Amino acid sequence: MHVFAIRLLPLVAALVVMTAGAARADMASDLVSKNLAARGGAEKLAAISTIEFTGKIVQPGGSQLTYKAIRARKNGGTLIQSSIQGLTLVQGYDGTVGWRINPFEGRRDAERISDDATRALADEASIDGALLSANARGGTIAYLGREDFDGTDAYKLRVVGAGLGAAQYVYYLDPETYLEIRVEETRVLRGSKRVSLSELSDYERVDGVYFPFSIETGGIGSISANRQKLVIDTARANVPVSDSLFAIPAAPGAKL
Amino acid sequence: MIARRLIQTIACASACTVALCFAPVRAASLDSGAVSGIGLRNIGSAQMSGRIAALDARVEKDGNVTIFVGAASGGVWKSLDGGTTFAPVFDKQPVQSIGAIALDPTNPQTVWVGTGESWTRNSVSIGNGIYKSTDGGDNWTNVGLPNSERVARIIVDPKDGNTVYACVPGKLWSDSADRGLYRTTDGGATWTLVLKGSNLSTGCSSLAMDPKDARVLYAGMWDFRRKGWTFRSGGEGPTAPSGSGMFRSSDSGATWTAMTAESNAGLPKGPWGRVEVATAPSNAKHIYAFIESPRSALFTSEDGGLTWQERDRSQRMVWRPFYFGKLVVDPTNDRRVFKMNLRMIVSDDGGKSFSDSSGGGHADWHDIWIDPTDAKHIIGGNDGGLWFSYDGGSKWWKSGNLPISQFYHVSTDNKDPYQVYGGLQDNSSWAGDSAYPGGVSNSRWENLYGGDGFWAFPDPSDNNFTYAEAQGGTIGRVDRRTLATREIQPKARRGEKLRFNWNTPIALSPSERGTIYIGAQFLFRSRDHGTTWDRISPDLSTNDPERQKQEVSGGITVDNSAAETATTIYSISESPKNGKVIWVGTDDGNVQLTRDGGATWKNVGGGLAGVPKGSWISWVEASRHDPATAYATVDRHTFGDMEPYLYRTTDFGKTWTQLVGAQSGVRGYAHVVREDAVNRNLLFLGTEFGLWTSVDAGQSWAALRPANFPAVAVRDIVEQERDRDLVIASHGRGIWILDDLTPLRNMSAQTLASEVTLLPGRPVQQRLQARGGWSEGDASYSGDNPANGAVISYYLRSRQVIGKLNLDILDTSGHVVDTIPPGIRKGLNRVVWSMRTKAPFVPPAATIAGGANEGPRVLPGTYTARLTKDGKTYAMPFVVSLDRRATYSLADRKAQFDAVNRVKGIFTRMSTVAGAIAIVRSSVVTESAKLPAGDALRGDLAQLADRADVLRKKLVATKEGGAITGEERLRELTADIYGVLLSSEGAPTNYAMARVDALDRDLADVEKSFATLTARDLPGVNEKLKAKSLPAITIGKITLDDSGRGANVEALFDSIVGSRSLDVNAASAGTESDDR
Repeated sequence: MHVFAIRLLPLVAALVVMTAGAARADMASDLVSKNLAARGGAEKLAAISTIEFTGKIVQPGGSQLTYKAIRARKNGGTLIQSSIQGLTLVQGYDGTVGWRINPFEGRRDAERISDDATRALADEASIDGALLSANARGGTIAYLGREDFDGTDAYKLRVVGAGLGAAQYVYYLDPETYLEIRVEETRVLRGSKRVSLSELSDYERVDGVYFPFSIETGGIGSISANRQKLVIDTARANVPVSDSLFAIPAAPGAKL
Repeated sequence: MIARRLIQTIACASACTVALCFAPVRAASLDSGAVSGIGLRNIGSAQMSGRIAALDARVEKDGNVTIFVGAASGGVWKSLDGGTTFAPVFDKQPVQSIGAIALDPTNPQTVWVGTGESWTRNSVSIGNGIYKSTDGGDNWTNVGLPNSERVARIIVDPKDGNTVYACVPGKLWSDSADRGLYRTTDGGATWTLVLKGSNLSTGCSSLAMDPKDARVLYAGMWDFRRKGWTFRSGGEGPTAPSGSGMFRSSDSGATWTAMTAESNAGLPKGPWGRVEVATAPSNAKHIYAFIESPRSALFTSEDGGLTWQERDRSQRMVWRPFYFGKLVVDPTNDRRVFKMNLRMIVSDDGGKSFSDSSGGGHADWHDIWIDPTDAKHIIGGNDGGLWFSYDGGSKWWKSGNLPISQFYHVSTDNKDPYQVYGGLQDNSSWAGDSAYPGGVSNSRWENLYGGDGFWAFPDPSDNNFTYAEAQGGTIGRVDRRTLATREIQPKARRGEKLRFNWNTPIALSPSERGTIYIGAQFLFRSRDHGTTWDRISPDLSTNDPERQKQEVSGGITVDNSAAETATTIYSISESPKNGKVIWVGTDDGNVQLTRDGGATWKNVGGGLAGVPKGSWISWVEASRHDPATAYATVDRHTFGDMEPYLYRTTDFGKTWTQLVGAQSGVRGYAHVVREDAVNRNLLFLGTEFGLWTSVDAGQSWAALRPANFPAVAVRDIVEQERDRDLVIASHGRGIWILDDLTPLRNMSAQTLASEVTLLPGRPVQQRLQARGGWSEGDASYSGDNPANGAVISYYLRSRQVIGKLNLDILDTSGHVVDTIPPGIRKGLNRVVWSMRTKAPFVPPAATIAGGANEGPRVLPGTYTARLTKDGKTYAMPFVVSLDRRATYSLADRKAQFDAVNRVKGIFTRMSTVAGAIAIVRSSVVTESAKLPAGDALRGDLAQLADRADVLRKKLVATKEGGAITGEERLRELTADIYGVLLSSEGAPTNYAMARVDALDRDLADVEKSFATLTARDLPGVNEKLKAKSLPAITIGKITLDDSGRGANVEALFDSIVGSRSLDVNAASAGTESDDR
């Protein structure tokens, strides 16, 4: 009897551990479902094949650039244009090649960007976002419990996977709406890890799907005054775009 | 986080102002989330850094070195680049004192941290168990041993990551059965006490594992106990019985064999004190042990511990065993061993002889890591931070990136920006800038004195001098101009011994500029900068002789450093409302009060309900508003009671009301309380686990803990009254500043109950635009400056997630002058408005016109912040004024504003004509394409375009290609003068305005030429176009899109733009910042 009890204990412990582990997996899955529902649901999200955002980027100190971004579900293409003084910084990704045109020092020819930067740009293209596209991209999602984030007792999820652009994402979901309110991205640049955070708010519906219209980005531990703010003024879903929009231009941009 | 959630009462709800009411409305839902958005910024410094208790590192496959550093009271810091940069990874945890760190050799993602330092000096903090991370330090789980209080060593089985040993010295200030050596075999899910001390004060001090056989363990057991006035390492004296010992197990800790002088030849006879043991990774038989005993020495065994030989017993080997113990053997050479001490020493002959290995490093070494792939590469931690050696420990680089400084106290002066002053554990007294253009770098801190630092004050009667203090009441008056110091500590009378506490209080009189107090057991006052001292009290302590036996303190090794001196005055506070009212707290339970300037004294501490006699009065605070009111904190952690206690009297100490006790929700023993200078209901409490605030006179409390502020000990809090700042001395993470506490002063129950409330701030200055500092590289810490702009504060009852929150700034006529991204967090939000108008519309050219990338700041005046949420608007006016340091007048400022706007107007005209030229040129291209090749009109159109282009080339630089062309046209020349006018907000110079006149005329010439062109050439071309049924070239009205408003030029050059900037820190660092 005594021996049996001793043998039984590890089994019970294992069951408890397995149960806890399964509960966490269920929780992760449940939260992802709730987030998807909160965004507008799978059907409406899938119905968005392209989306265009326009707004402004406010840098620390208050200076601003215009902002226009187009994302396409096909090939994951994206194009971001940021303008000042009639000069436009263009960053593009066509599903394979990442590139940019930086006109501010007198060049208008496109240049390829590093693989690390390309991966970051590819993430920018995702209409669904890393959390909702993780399963399709071979990623895994783990529930990390709840954590206070600036007074909000948020749900915390970690997303990892080789098919994702960043080495790791940590999402904080608002407990009332289940929308993401903070994302920490760990990226590897030339072998060195960098972690940045984004705070998301001002969600608005675009063709039935919620997108954040305010994204504040900075380093971990940074104070708000030292962060960059992206403010979206308008968004349009399913704008017509051609594949060539996202491809690296063969020739330099037209001279002024 | 949530302290008391108390119901709202109606007492005094509206009848009293916040400054007068003393029975306030209880805060409806005061919690950390409601107040922490007020924000704190850390100004460091990492210049002096602070004590490091433990560290571990690993050489990664790619050659990078990962380092985990355990600060004595500042959390865990991780570096992925060999120490160039560090990030705090333990800030979310409830304790910050680290005793041990172990990287799992079987899994690079698993890290173990034992909380609670084991270098048990008088000021040591406490932990709450052992933590495990399975993701490289991103997230942590407390996996047990909650009553361990401190952990000395963790060893992970090199072949089984689930088997881990934790060496627990245990509670320092009280008996405990929760001490000894623990083992888990299930990754921390359960722990078994495998080696227990022989009494309730003996725990584990050291642990070593056989490098070839993980079942073989060596453990040092240590009998140690502290009280507030004495300590013992070993028994009560050099020959008293002690529970200390050394043990060996060969079965993973299941059974143990004591190793004694009787059983193992060569070991010393007991009693023993601290025992440290280390194995040589390259030779399993070679074991080292430092054993504190009446004949303390290093012992070595070369037969696996069977027999031992006494080796070195030099001063640096045996000095202060309770504080320095660790032995570290070179992983590649078993005869090379380092011994931590006041100065680290090293032996190359198996411990027979030692030489110094500290180089130019700070004193008091506690741990090192030796690179197993290159034994000359060593990382070490001592009382002065982290150090790197690349020559085997002869010379050392100092890390400049760990702001883990352990301040005891802080004060401020009235410079502008003000400086902060404070003393630190083993790191002297310093003065540093609260703000500096470019950031508060390490170089903005100046060392003033020496020793352990405590109180430091600028002399309010002469700003050239600063009072600074070292341990035991050593006080000097330092001339800031030369750093020459005059020692001014009061001296004892014949046959008398003055008892100065380790942390002796000094205080400035708020009523007599230049009067200073210092407390031994007597209170001394000087009115002549320490030239003479008046003894204005009798012995105010209990004078308990049992607490005055420091000459025999230390147990086996006597240690009387002033750290245990007791029956002393510990806190002094003169009433700002009545200079004859002085409150004094002692370390043995007295709260003494004089109401006649020291002529008579009365102990009023008896009324502190529930406080046992002899408790440590850690702070007395005379009210800023009422001479009869005072606050007292009681710190009983030296009796093993870690709870906070705060009391208030309103009747000169006849009665006391407990404001904070064991069940209040406030965590950690109390160090300091401050009452706000304006709102007496606003209180701040510093405890061992952070900063707490009350907006209802102490009825409810909330942790003031922004995300960047850990649960670090807060030892002192001061208000910089001119700037309304709260300055916080943390013991482990440096100095923190809460910029402008006005919003907190105005928080009330009504605020907390509201959906949205805009909260006023201090008057806004347009601080001078200044540049300073220089790049110190990535390995140097730089503290944040205050926000550069007008700070708009407001309260949101809940976080904004869905829908737009809009924040507009309006001028006096109601026009929106700016719309800024608002804060959206729950509770207090603070948003910075740059006060800048839009940048000029600059015509496109080959490159960006960097000088014209921002607009001028608005003119001083009254503006209104208008917040719109869910269709409702909330508005609050605020006043913008010039920098109080400005040497120019408002008229000068207006002249500058007008001048800049005039140039903006020039840019607008320039852009308009450039736009018209562009229309002509593009129309030519469009219409020409419609004509057959060889058509004569094509030539006419080309001529028109060429003439327009000649004018364009007078306007803007057009040479592209990326080189520094030096091409300057009107646009570039105008941008230059624009930048000149923008850079200083005083009246523009005559020659600058003359330059504007010249450029204005040059532009007018181009405008005139273009008008001539369009009047002369365009009609003819249009006639010919008409003849071919093509549309005429019309210019029409030029509309300028001014949605872009300038940008950080450096960031643009680096393409740091977008929602996923790759290097957000670089983007931030590129931001120019004023010092305010």
